[in-house]
Amino acid sequence: MLELVDLGKSFDGVSAINGVSFDVGEDEYLTLLGPSGSGKTVLLRLIAGLDRPDAGRIVLNGQNITNKPTHLRGLGFVQQKYALFPHLSVRQNISFGLTNHHSTPISDANEVNRLCDEMLEIVGLSGLADRGVGQISGGQKQRVSLARTLVTKPKLCLLDEPLGALDANLRERMTVELRDIRARLGVSFMHVTGNEDEALGMGDRMIVLDKGSVIQIEKPADVFSRPATVSVARHMNNYNILPGSTRNNHFVFAGSRLSIPANVENAAFYVVGIDKVAVEPVEAPERKDAASIDATYVASEFMGSRVVYLFERQDGQVFEVERHLSRETPVNYIPGETRRLSWDVNDVLTYAPDGSLVNNSAQLRGAA
Amino acid sequence: MHHLTKTRWALAVYAALFLVFLYGPFVVMGILSFQQGPEGGPQFPIIEWSTYWYQHVIGIAPASRVAPLPVGDALIRSLSLAFATMVVSTILGTLTAQAFRTKFKGSGFVFYLVVLGMMVPGVLLGLGMSLVAAQFGIDRNWWSTAFVLHVVYTFPFAFLVMLAIFNRFDASVEEASLALGVSPRRTFQKVTFPIIFPGILSAMLFAFTLSYDEFPRTLFTGGSQVTMPLAIYGTFSVEIHPNLFAFGVLTTLFSFALLSVYAILMGLSARRLSVRSTGIQEDVT
Amino acid sequence: MTHISDSQNTDQRRFFQRYAPYFLLAPGVTWMALFLVIPLVMMVYVSFWTQTTFAISSDLTTKSWVTFFSSETYFGALLRTIRIWLTVLFFTFLLGYPIALFIGLFVRSKTVQTLLLVACVIPFWTSFLIRVLAWRPMLGKEGAVNLVLQKIGVISQPIEVLLFTELSVVIGMVQIYVVFMVGPIAFMLSRIDGSLLEAARDIGATPLMTFRRVIFPLSLPGVTVGAIFVSVMVLGEFATASALSGRKVNLLGNIIVTQVGSLKWAFAAVIGVVLTIVMAIVITALLRLVNLREEL
Repeated sequence: MLELVDLGKSFDGVSAINGVSFDVGEDEYLTLLGPSGSGKTVLLRLIAGLDRPDAGRIVLNGQNITNKPTHLRGLGFVQQKYALFPHLSVRQNISFGLTNHHSTPISDANEVNRLCDEMLEIVGLSGLADRGVGQISGGQKQRVSLARTLVTKPKLCLLDEPLGALDANLRERMTVELRDIRARLGVSFMHVTGNEDEALGMGDRMIVLDKGSVIQIEKPADVFSRPATVSVARHMNNYNILPGSTRNNHFVFAGSRLSIPANVENAAFYVVGIDKVAVEPVEAPERKDAASIDATYVASEFMGSRVVYLFERQDGQVFEVERHLSRETPVNYIPGETRRLSWDVNDVLTYAPDGSLVNNSAQLRGAA
Repeated sequence: MHHLTKTRWALAVYAALFLVFLYGPFVVMGILSFQQGPEGGPQFPIIEWSTYWYQHVIGIAPASRVAPLPVGDALIRSLSLAFATMVVSTILGTLTAQAFRTKFKGSGFVFYLVVLGMMVPGVLLGLGMSLVAAQFGIDRNWWSTAFVLHVVYTFPFAFLVMLAIFNRFDASVEEASLALGVSPRRTFQKVTFPIIFPGILSAMLFAFTLSYDEFPRTLFTGGSQVTMPLAIYGTFSVEIHPNLFAFGVLTTLFSFALLSVYAILMGLSARRLSVRSTGIQEDVT
Repeated sequence: MTHISDSQNTDQRRFFQRYAPYFLLAPGVTWMALFLVIPLVMMVYVSFWTQTTFAISSDLTTKSWVTFFSSETYFGALLRTIRIWLTVLFFTFLLGYPIALFIGLFVRSKTVQTLLLVACVIPFWTSFLIRVLAWRPMLGKEGAVNLVLQKIGVISQPIEVLLFTELSVVIGMVQIYVVFMVGPIAFMLSRIDGSLLEAARDIGATPLMTFRRVIFPLSLPGVTVGAIFVSVMVLGEFATASALSGRKVNLLGNIIVTQVGSLKWAFAAVIGVVLTIVMAIVITALLRLVNLREEL
């Protein structure tokens, strides 16, 4: 439906977006994950037509809209800080796009009210239609902002960190609601966020953006299990990343020799998932096809349904081990005691010095 | 702490004295406007209390040796001039301030060019304009040469007011409107304008008052048909009479009336916003 | 420039979008160029014209300039203008600062603050010229000030120097312009964070020290802006002088008015240029101390 081709934009000579290409399909929930400064808001503004790209083009349903003014694009855009019209009531905010549309304004007040009521129902704000926008809470503002856009029935709706300003509880609830609303209306969502949980949990597909370039476009599960670069891996908050170098079919990290998957040469980062690590006594026998380091137990953190044990590596950094409480009961280690942390070599991801994923058996296995 | 309280009291007393200094002349003017007429002069003591000078100002007093103030014509001229100036200055000020919302080359130059208009003393500008008029054989009139200078003077004020308003204006609501498929023109009408309206009202108020009271520029470029300030200035050279004081009291009251209209308009726009919170529904148009 | 563009229409639209600020600026800038810059340039030009008693011709000469600097009357007026400007500036600051301090710092209730500011502004709702004239019955020999002073026995004879002297001109100007000093200073002071003053007290600064080290420096931009306002207005003044001095105190502005009245355009222009130069020096100096664009 929407296709971006080699899009580029710079401000005062500093590149903000560089050679970005991807497409958004019909009835799809696409999330775009990027740290702040990665150019994700710039990208949205280019798509919405609020800024013009320096290079590349934007095609919507086969039509080149690269230089089309915003109001003629027919895209929805839900801004980060809601941007509600302060001089209008909730109902007037929602009906604004219907009654003032450039080509097809609806003049029948009953029809407008009916559509508004319907939308208020969907976003769960039925009782608040006549409130001023200064008299509602942040979560409600978020819904008004969403309703205002969705009531105009855009084919594609751009959401700029829609949950960013909400507190954790509300965020979790809105996550579910956003998915439901989208599914009910059959609109495509392009949801931009800096939060990996949001991006992983909500999208049908996700895009990882860093320093103005697309790094990875895949299903969230695939991005999660096989980050395309070491910086994506770091962003997933789910990996231990050990820096070092390969020597004689081994990875040397802070003096330890770690087994690596076959055919890996020249890796600079050795990455292992925090949920793939076993904690054993130091004297436990070495297993075949496994690698291990010894580390000092520091503390543990309970995070809802899981517990994370924190160990200190040889190089002084933290090594995390995660356990789901549904699978095993938490163990009480003694702070200061040394443990052997081991993992299956097939669970290891390795990355080249430039940060890119090194083709290895784990990836081959995952792809199969 | 004790020290500061003492300072506060000293300052409060000083503030009271300061207000006496500011208002003293007005009080005296008010008192003397009720001087007996037509013989009573603009000084103490009051011979006899009367409203003679008020009747004189509005032209219902019996004829006397004191020439009546040209209230009718001059006042109408001043008001029309102030009105026209207000409209043009506010439009120019809003357009220019709108331009300053985006970065552009030469913004510093344009800023100081516009601000120069309020900085250059009226005498200089009046002189320069009358030289230009004399050189090019342009007739000097209150509605032509004087009018353009009034705008030069008040446009910077309107510009600064609008600049301050736009500084506090969140452009994302305009973008929201565009993204909803509303044309830029209608976005301005339905979103931008209603939000900046209080600012526009202040800019208008500024421009109107400044123009209404303007006189050095008008003195040089106004031609033979005088505005109200020029009529008053004309009395400087001859003897002044308490009719000026009566006129002063009346214009002050008029100003208050104008200020009240402004306050009511502001109040109304504030009320329109708060109505939403009380649940009174307005028609969706 | 993209290599792909829909049509010429889009190109046109991009053109307008790109130059939008300049289209918006055009009316205002044109207006200022025509009616502000040209008259000022014309003034400089005319100051070099040849002035005879009854006529003026566009032959260029510096005669009017020579006359200005060799004439006691004209050069004296320049010095007098500068003297009165400095005096008024000093007194507006002296009288205005404590008020600004009171309004901006000591009154912490927003309502009272607004009320006091409104009280200061109300006089502006009366015509400027009438405000000036109102000083006559105040300061005259039988004026209110003398009357009151005699009543309470401070003086036995009325003070005559109050009206129609340089003193009355200064008093009148200070009253009219002091508010322009109060406003900007009060504005700057009201922006001072209360916690800053508490911090100063906590580290043991005396109120006087806090004032000298914290409050006063922070209010300086306000003082500068106020000084710009007052200077601009006082330097171009002539009405107050002619109303309250009985035509005895002639400022540069007064001389311009008289010269124009007797059709001595070239002389008037010379004085105009001199005034412009004085003004430019003062404003540039003050603007060096404060960035006007940022303070707004």
